Amino acid sequence: MSTGAETFRPSPRVTVIFSHSDRHYEPLDPLEVRYEADGLEDEPPRAVEHSVLWFTEGKGEEDLGVHFFERLVAPERLPPTAPMGQFSCRLPRSPLSYEGVVVKIRWCVRIRFFFESGRDYVSEHEFAVGQLPPAHPLTANL
Amino acid sequence: MRFPRFFGKKRGHRRTGSQAWASLGDAAFHAALLTAGIVFAGLLLSGVAVPEWRINQHFLPTDCTVLGKGLARRTTVADRGGSSTWQPCLRVRYDVAGRTMESWSTPSRSTTTSDRARAVAALSAWKLGDTVPGWYDPSAPATVVLQRGYNWWMWLLTLLLPGALVSFGGMGLARAIRRWGRSEERCAVPSRFSDILDPLAAGPRQAADHPGVPACEDLVNSPGTVLAYRLPIESPENWTLLGFGLFALLWNSVLAVLGVGAVIDLLKGKIDWLLLTLLVPFAAVGIAGLVLFIRRVLLTTAVGPTQLEISAQPLQPGGTYEVLLAQGGSGMLESLRLCLALEEQATFTQGTDTRTDRITVWARDIRTWGDLQLTPGARFEARESFTIPPDAMHSFASEHNAVRWSIAVHGQPAGWPGFVRTFPLVVFPAEPAAEQGDPRREAVP
Repeated sequence: MSTGAETFRPSPRVTVIFSHSDRHYEPLDPLEVRYEADGLEDEPPRAVEHSVLWFTEGKGEEDLGVHFFERLVAPERLPPTAPMGQFSCRLPRSPLSYEGVVVKIRWCVRIRFFFESGRDYVSEHEFAVGQLPPAHPLTANL
Repeated sequence: MRFPRFFGKKRGHRRTGSQAWASLGDAAFHAALLTAGIVFAGLLLSGVAVPEWRINQHFLPTDCTVLGKGLARRTTVADRGGSSTWQPCLRVRYDVAGRTMESWSTPSRSTTTSDRARAVAALSAWKLGDTVPGWYDPSAPATVVLQRGYNWWMWLLTLLLPGALVSFGGMGLARAIRRWGRSEERCAVPSRFSDILDPLAAGPRQAADHPGVPACEDLVNSPGTVLAYRLPIESPENWTLLGFGLFALLWNSVLAVLGVGAVIDLLKGKIDWLLLTLLVPFAAVGIAGLVLFIRRVLLTTAVGPTQLEISAQPLQPGGTYEVLLAQGGSGMLESLRLCLALEEQATFTQGTDTRTDRITVWARDIRTWGDLQLTPGARFEARESFTIPPDAMHSFASEHNAVRWSIAVHGQPAGWPGFVRTFPLVVFPAEPAAEQGDPRREAVP
């Protein structure tokens, strides 16, 4: 296990630990994620969503494919009562992470907190599936 | 209570909008469509469909004696005076449970005309004292009709227009309600209602157990003569030909209508200079369109059919496969090139347009032939092999993005423009190491 602290906003702060230290996985690998959320004492969340998904980047409109999703609403499973959270799933065979020219495919874990006020906060943490080399415009290949 | 933001922000390469306002707008738009559909359906049902259905189902038959004839006049008030339509109507006497009734009725709804003389002439079809069949309303015996039947166009209109509005608006409203207050990820989780509520967002069909990889059923349903499968052709030339043909047909149809009108005017000794002036550039465009279409037909038919067979489908990175190229036709081909290519395709909206950007990111020539003499009845055939690179990206297709493998046949006929014929392939990702006996996955914590 490795600790990769990522601070997206001053509050709340979400620290995510991936089961692979280099955040690199192969298809069908089990993915285990643990996280710790700080700064939620003033406004405890009413629900938390965990998701493992791929999305596209690049010139086209963003497409999204959710592989794993769970929503927690039980107060005893939410911070600050439960400061640590975890979830796991087995990754699918595809799509592989891809660094193309106009199409890029990225995998990520998202932890989304929903607050009583109606606002929500999402923390996104990327990881890679497969080891494909980046693509280049055709002139670079020839 | 905190209201959602009206305006979104651009954060790096991600656009964050106000999800709540977008959902509200979407819901309001579809609710308006649904309401319009319901109101429209109500008006058509109460004004047309139900009365017609009652006439055919509830009205009782009787014999009507024609007592008088007249014209019903309907006047519409317009800016300049107004216009009237005329409809023949008959004064008839009929029997209702032993009671004699008299009433005016229109014999046929199709005889309404704006020409009064014609309407008067139509009245001669009935003679005073004639007996005609009629049907009266048992709940209001003074109402009698002299014709029954269904107006199928009106029923079709009643079902189609409000039906389309109700189904489109209803589905959109249900989708908006389902998404209200939900995160992007929760909305994207597939459910049994996803395809029903949002059929367009489902994207291309995917291969079983391979999310994001397009299904290849359509590529393996045609067996080859020598190799396992005959690949379907994906030729942009055919769409270009269809486009040229449709343009030439539509443009010249309009031109023909205008031309006939101009000729009729000329025969009557009337010259419409404005029409004639417009016809000259219209005719030039029409002739140019026709010439381009005929040229495209000649180009398409001059080069014979191209067929490609492959030894396996779907393909896998690192795999070596055989292809059989067959090129028909006649004449000299200066070059014929078989090429394996990987293309990225991104669809995006720019203003109100939807555009698709394609870029080839990898290509390798499989084989090139020069100076091929094609003879009718004996097609050129060549069997070649190629390898998908071991570290190649697999085929990918989502709603707006795709990574597509294909084999392209580039031909250059002597004295004719070149052609490209594309045959799509589906490359699956390499099987994971564990399935090949790699112990690495056993050690994963």
